[in-house]
Amino acid sequence: MAVSISSLFKKEVVGDGGKLMAGQRRFAYTSLVPILLYMGLFTLFPITFAMVMSFFSYSPIRDGSGFLDLGGANPFVGVANYIELFTGTGKPAEVFRLAVKNTFLFTALVLPLNLLVTLPLAVVLESIGERFKTFFRAIYFLPTISSSVAVVIIWEYMYAPGWGLLSLMFKAVGLVPPKSWLSDPSTIYFGVPLAMICVVVAHVWQDFGYNLVIFVAALQSIPKTLREAARVDGANVWQEFWLIVVPLLRRTVLLTSVLTVISSLQVFVIFQLLSRGGPQNQTQTLVLSIYENAFRFANNVGLASAMSMILFIIILILTVVQFRILRTEWEY
Amino acid sequence: MQPSNNKLPSAGFLLGKSGAYTVLIVGLVATLLPFFYIIVSSLKTDAELRKTPPDFFPQEPTFQHYTTILTDDRIPIERNVMNSVIISLARVAITLFTSSYAGYIFAKYHFKGKNLAFGAILIQIMIPFQVVMIPNYLLVVRFGLIDSLWALIVPSMVDAFGIFLMKQFIESLPAELMDAARIDGASEFGIYSRIVLPQMGPPLASLGIFTFMYTWNDYLWPLIVLTTPEKRTIPLLLVWFQTQHSSNLGLVLAASILTLLPIFFVYIFVQRWIVDQATQSAFR
Repeated sequence: MAVSISSLFKKEVVGDGGKLMAGQRRFAYTSLVPILLYMGLFTLFPITFAMVMSFFSYSPIRDGSGFLDLGGANPFVGVANYIELFTGTGKPAEVFRLAVKNTFLFTALVLPLNLLVTLPLAVVLESIGERFKTFFRAIYFLPTISSSVAVVIIWEYMYAPGWGLLSLMFKAVGLVPPKSWLSDPSTIYFGVPLAMICVVVAHVWQDFGYNLVIFVAALQSIPKTLREAARVDGANVWQEFWLIVVPLLRRTVLLTSVLTVISSLQVFVIFQLLSRGGPQNQTQTLVLSIYENAFRFANNVGLASAMSMILFIIILILTVVQFRILRTEWEY
Repeated sequence: MQPSNNKLPSAGFLLGKSGAYTVLIVGLVATLLPFFYIIVSSLKTDAELRKTPPDFFPQEPTFQHYTTILTDDRIPIERNVMNSVIISLARVAITLFTSSYAGYIFAKYHFKGKNLAFGAILIQIMIPFQVVMIPNYLLVVRFGLIDSLWALIVPSMVDAFGIFLMKQFIESLPAELMDAARIDGASEFGIYSRIVLPQMGPPLASLGIFTFMYTWNDYLWPLIVLTTPEKRTIPLLLVWFQTQHSSNLGLVLAASILTLLPIFFVYIFVQRWIVDQATQSAFR
């Protein structure tokens, strides 16, 4: 299902004239134009408007002058919002820089942990009989379809200090559980705050089903003939795995990793509701900052728009990487 | 040499059969234990919930928290469930129509500017929601839709990814059938509704289920645009529970189970389509 970007720029072959063709073209235009205009209104216009707002000191509660309240009480400030975000000493800017760091830390933890769980599990899952495979896969996918808010409530209960299930499990195996899982800023392991680790674990629990089914599908698509050929040539199970399966899986793993990174950068609910950005902003993230600056505090929409543009640029770069991987032609 | 085997021993058999099942069952327990623990805990009495250390299973299981949620007039759960149902179904119906219709035109018609238009669709797939949520909020305010269920429907009537998926599928349908219908005098819209649409069961089911789940669980956008308790959707109700009733743990747990159950119930019947859709979306 790969999308080839280059095909977009090829010249479309349009059949020559004819009443029938003209009628079809008219139908295509009249049907598509409203849909595209609609889309433009709620996606292309907003992205442009967000970009414009990021150059203004903008708040919707102020009555600006001119087009869309831009100007007047909402003055043009050039790149001041961006300069503030990168170098400023205001509280939102300082929290933002911390948030960017935390967002990358979160992503850097989620990706390896996710692959560590999903890859071996997929390999094992693919090897068992069809019936059990469907059963296990269905169960593993349950957290993925659950509402994130319910997931937060489940994990808040798991992490309850002292008597939560995790504390009890720690005690059962003779370990001393942390006094507080989500609200003690001083517990830091290898430079990672405990609250962040807790959020990572809860997120991977909720999210691993996606990558799992993708890897199982990729494993299933490896042609049996390749494995048979290896077997005929005298390869043992290990050799077959490392020389046939792993190389053929590489592209899928790469692609899935990029998608996991893109989605990790946008995680919102568990940060807002489970750890609430705390303690001491240790789990404050980019998306949480955008939300808080735009909707919770001060209606600092210009600054929040600049933040969202930074998020957009990061994701755009990753998407380009994703398309590059998709474009590499692969044949088994 | 490996002994020849009629079922190809795949990589998972590195661990042997019992090793493989051990890994799978450990994964199963890790997945289900958190669900199971809140289910059994939601059946505990308030006194049992406060007990430290707690018992894993309730001593006297009770449904009191469930009955409180369903019968207490101060908890507008019926209203909130209705809101979620209405919005989810409306979005599914609209998305399925716009996606299949636009997908049909992209797949089967030739016209100037088609590649440019489709490029615009692809660009929209890449734009994350968080980047456009602020301007979308301002738009919704300007249109007077704030704090109304329309605010959850109107901005998402066209789904770029849905169009993309439907186009991929419709391209694989043979053109002969459409040409035959055309010769028989069918209108272009008639070809869509009577020839193309009836063949699109599986992809429409996948997209529909996916849209339903997404809408049902959506939290950030409703959080921004809805304020009145009666307008809330299920996830907002849950958050309200979590913040207002944090002292009444039994209610919070029971409420989350109640919101998970409908989705799990639907899932039992449609899990194959969901898995297909999840796999496809990765290779878009």
